[in-house]
Amino acid sequence: MRNFALFIMLSLLAATTSSCMGLRQINELAIVSAVGLDVGEKPGSVKLSAQIMRPADVRGQTGAPSGGTGEPIYSVSAEGDSIFDAIRNLGRFTSRRVYWAHNFLIVMHENYARRGIGDMVDFFTRNRELRMNTWVAVTPDSPDELISTITGIEVVPGEAVDRLFRYNMVTGLAVGSNMMNLEEQFLSSSAQPVIAKLQLMPRGISNKKPEEHGSLKQVELTGAAAFREDRMVGWLSPEETRGLLFFVHDYLSGVEPVSCPNNGSMATLEFKQARLSVYPSVRDKEPEFRIRLSTEADIVENGCGISLAAYRRELEGELSDALRAKIVAVLKKAQKDYRTDILKLGDRLRNRYPIEWSRLRGRWTDAFSEAEMKVEVKTTIKSTALRTSRRDIH
Amino acid sequence: MNRIRLSNGMFMAMIVNMIYAKAIGVTQGTISRLIGQDMWIATLLGTLQGLLIIYVLHWAMRRLPGRRITDLPSLGDALLGRWFGHLTALILVGFFLAGFGPIMITFVYHLKDYFLPEVPLAIFIVSGLAVGAIGCYYGLEVMGRLALLGILFIFLLNLLIVIGSIDEFDILNMLPVLEHGLPNALFASVHFDADWALAAMMAALVLPHAQDGLVRGGRFGAAGIAAGGVAIMIWSILEPAVLSAEVSSQYTVSCMKLARNAHVGTFLQRYEMIMIALYSVPVLFEIMFTLYAVSACSTRLFHLKSDKAAILPSAIALGAFGYWIVEDHFRAIRFLENIWPWIALPVAAGLPLLMLLLRLLLQKRTERAAPYPEEG
Amino acid sequence: MPAIRELLLEAFQPSLKDNEALVDAILGSSADLKKRKFALGGDTAVSGLLYYVAGLADSKVVELILRALVVQYRESHREKEGPETADDIVTGLLSNASAKSCSKAEEAITSVLTGDTLVMIEGVGEAIVVVSRGWEDRSIEEPVAENNVRGPRDGFTESIRTNTAHVRRRLRDPRLRFDEMVVGERSKTDVNIAYIEDLVKEGLVEEVKRRIGRIRIDAVLESSYIEELIEDEPLSPLNTVQNTERPDKVASALLEGRVAIFIDNTPSVLLVPTFFWQYIQASDDYYNHYWVGTFYRIVRYVALIISLVLPSIYVMLISFHHEMIPTSLALTIASGREVVPFPVLLEALLMELAFELMREAGIRMPKPIGQAVSIVGSLIIGQAAVQAGIVSPFMVIIVAITGISSFAIPSYSSSLAIRIIRFPLLIASGTLGLLGFATVFFALMLHALSIRSFGESYLAPASPFRARDQRDMVLRMPMWMLDGRPNFAQDEDRIGGRQRPKPPTPTEKG
Repeated sequence: MRNFALFIMLSLLAATTSSCMGLRQINELAIVSAVGLDVGEKPGSVKLSAQIMRPADVRGQTGAPSGGTGEPIYSVSAEGDSIFDAIRNLGRFTSRRVYWAHNFLIVMHENYARRGIGDMVDFFTRNRELRMNTWVAVTPDSPDELISTITGIEVVPGEAVDRLFRYNMVTGLAVGSNMMNLEEQFLSSSAQPVIAKLQLMPRGISNKKPEEHGSLKQVELTGAAAFREDRMVGWLSPEETRGLLFFVHDYLSGVEPVSCPNNGSMATLEFKQARLSVYPSVRDKEPEFRIRLSTEADIVENGCGISLAAYRRELEGELSDALRAKIVAVLKKAQKDYRTDILKLGDRLRNRYPIEWSRLRGRWTDAFSEAEMKVEVKTTIKSTALRTSRRDIH
Repeated sequence: MNRIRLSNGMFMAMIVNMIYAKAIGVTQGTISRLIGQDMWIATLLGTLQGLLIIYVLHWAMRRLPGRRITDLPSLGDALLGRWFGHLTALILVGFFLAGFGPIMITFVYHLKDYFLPEVPLAIFIVSGLAVGAIGCYYGLEVMGRLALLGILFIFLLNLLIVIGSIDEFDILNMLPVLEHGLPNALFASVHFDADWALAAMMAALVLPHAQDGLVRGGRFGAAGIAAGGVAIMIWSILEPAVLSAEVSSQYTVSCMKLARNAHVGTFLQRYEMIMIALYSVPVLFEIMFTLYAVSACSTRLFHLKSDKAAILPSAIALGAFGYWIVEDHFRAIRFLENIWPWIALPVAAGLPLLMLLLRLLLQKRTERAAPYPEEG
Repeated sequence: MPAIRELLLEAFQPSLKDNEALVDAILGSSADLKKRKFALGGDTAVSGLLYYVAGLADSKVVELILRALVVQYRESHREKEGPETADDIVTGLLSNASAKSCSKAEEAITSVLTGDTLVMIEGVGEAIVVVSRGWEDRSIEEPVAENNVRGPRDGFTESIRTNTAHVRRRLRDPRLRFDEMVVGERSKTDVNIAYIEDLVKEGLVEEVKRRIGRIRIDAVLESSYIEELIEDEPLSPLNTVQNTERPDKVASALLEGRVAIFIDNTPSVLLVPTFFWQYIQASDDYYNHYWVGTFYRIVRYVALIISLVLPSIYVMLISFHHEMIPTSLALTIASGREVVPFPVLLEALLMELAFELMREAGIRMPKPIGQAVSIVGSLIIGQAAVQAGIVSPFMVIIVAITGISSFAIPSYSSSLAIRIIRFPLLIASGTLGLLGFATVFFALMLHALSIRSFGESYLAPASPFRARDQRDMVLRMPMWMLDGRPNFAQDEDRIGGRQRPKPPTPTEKG
């Protein structure tokens, strides 16, 4: 017993005296909150920019005085032949060890995404530090600029984008792509990745110069980028993305304005409990899909100036058309324009007909783009929210 | 010296602990590389085979004289003379030595690769074996009690992983069922079999000490295997459903991948450290028991007077072997996937059966030599 | 001069002179030893001698003895001549509650030193010992270390008889036994072993007596002397013998089939066997409603976990596993630590040390000064140190919560034990992160699992698991469900079943 105690003491002693244990205090780390990836100047190289938080300035003074410049973030960029190389090069001028575990966002430039994201997926999943629900996005703007753009309410831009993604389903115009589902789609043989789109828009109004509308750029989350294998093939518009959401997320509710049955003004419907069912079938060795969306809806804004009770069926039809248009739009984009199965339809076929799938998987891109799609949308208007228009009585 | 007594609960708990640690991560990764999303079917099949073998083992053990920890070797002595006894002891030592490889792989790859990549490998091995040695010093009964606590920890761990993963649960990832066919699933279940082989050998060693060990030990052993199977099945269902089989197959330790993905809301983004703190109990238990088994069998092999004397040399031997295996990832995976199952299964299933066969053949000699009277 | 040991073995003689010489040789002249000469029945021919220790013996009792011997003897012994035997005097003359004759010097001397009065009369071959113990005592007060809100407030005092009486008053069971032992070569301390004959675990009383009988020590000044000499695990920081100042706790322990060891001159009574979880249970659990009792018991379990692992987990997170901290919390911690010059392990050790210092300084100071210590301490630690950037505010919070949690553990001695165990855990997690934490925690667990207290597993009924005893472990089930004693007791049924109260069923009226 005593020997064992001695043994433990000795090994503890060895542990304390040997320096390289990976012991790093939290305040010795450069905590990255967002990272941008772009193609470097040298062909094939990577330009990596990181947004590093300065805790004392992010949090203000907690207790002890700690000097700061007042800038909560510190953005740097470096180039390298690979991502890891670029990160090592960051170390040449960051005084602390770059630490990735609290990263909120990975944003890639369009050019980078078109070149291939295999190295990115591999690096960020191989690294033990990175958390798996880091958001991933593609941008047509410069990632450097995007990650260092201070947004209005949050102090740290990465955190702001994190919240954009978190409440993404309210607007329902972009996919909530994080590392977890990107990796899954990337590795899957029966689905293709799709990543959200971030862009800079002149939306903010400066407090000092309110007359110059849109003088401040803000980060906007809208739309998506479609991939085939590891390469980006094109953008999806916000409308198409909404159509896509029914397929890839549990997208339950959203808002859809429709034109009034009596005049050109608009009524707004909020659909709820949307349920998308996909019925794959195989005819003549070719896949077919019957896609069925059923949803309930409330009238949340009535600009028509008439009672809608009588026009319930017509409004339902309008909403169905609007939703069907979105689904058809994304189907067309995926099938004809980009020829990539971002809708996970291959997955559905594989689950239902594994044997046919094993035959089709080799030429799935072609089979998918030729596949026949039937889209049905069924909506039911259930409520008019709090108000029932007085004219309803007459 | 009073006899060590293990309650039936402890006996079952030890079996669960012995299977759990490796089976949820390393084994599931291996299986998913073979048959994708049908991991749970392979686990189920493996559990059923485990139930069968533990019954056979118990049946064989009941009919052996002796029933002490170094049971099999003494029988070997009686059967074919000293050399055979030594051979049996040697096989047992070899079995547990080899079994230490996967255990160490589990322990080190969880802690080192995911938490402390800069800590030297030797420290993991030394500290694991140090607490293992303390446990061995305290003896089997303390191990049994620890196993009971281990069950509690396993339960908490499963609860945490379910809470953290249920949001991402996608039943579509589990489909199609049996894509690769039943024969492949059966083949893949061999890897899970190797896990319970260790547990079955453990059961064989401790069976005589269990409360109802020889009377109804088979039933309790089977219950232990079944409980372990259920605890593991949770993981083998969650892993393909949450991660997808393609992702699980990418990782050596796929349960850690699942644990990394688990999150509660947006505040608690990662809490795998809590899970690993809970997980360390079953895995340290495995280390401890392997050390115990090796030292007990080598006591027999080298005719040492006390069990305790063999602990330190055994620990050194295990440590050296563990270091050699774990040091190189490629070697570790090769050992895990290609070598270990083919050591584990023949020994676990074959040795007791062989003994039984020999005993039937040489019945007269045994009866004369058997120092212990048979009970019912 | 013959050794005192031999003198003690001598017997009393009829000659008063010899006897006086013997007693004087043993006791010598001591300021508090009083020697009073008297004449039996006022007759100068028959002289007598009386010894007592001033302060120990009640002078009123001594006066009563003298009155009997000097005044009343004459009235009752007018016809008789000469002295009779000691027994005659005891039975025929003395009106004291307890008196007896004794022939051996040792017995007489011990009695005198206990507070009794020794009477010797010329011509009588034996001495008489009259019990006259009556010294100034501390009155019964509330137990200092174990307060409660509802429930009895009397605590043990330094007098063993008062203490046993406290228990006897609670349990008028004829089978409650107090077995007497004397420990200490020089102190001759009374030790009483209390148990209920038909409940106590079989063989336990013998075991306790065997262990106490083995003790060779000069003096027993506090129960901890006995405790450390009879423990199962002398090397363990965990205490395997419970001590309490509360008579109700002792009574309940006796009812569970345990044994209490009363020791003279100390208000703490030892209880064996002891289980770890008992340190987390308080009498209030039973005296309040069971929902309340259960809730606060769970709170105390949480306090136990916090006081054991919180600093270690904090240090581990800050120095190794930063990825586990939720981002916003990580930023807050990092910003608080920005100017702290120490590594977090050192910071934690320093703060823990400061906390222990404050506690230690405050505990023995007179109350007014003690308050000053805590004010200065909290100002320095809480305010100035943080503002000066020596420690981070988070560390102050961690240490404070840990400290408060350790105070929430009802047993003082075990909260001290846990405070000590915390340090290896802290150092291991500060140097090896999760690995260190896991291994040291595992080793501690192994240790706790391996120890026993008088043959019972220390962690019972959690491990080995006893389903029946779970009703009074983490939870405190209602009284009508607590119908069993722990399974080591001889008689496991406490009360009859179906005690659950219910409103009377309404009777139908014609």
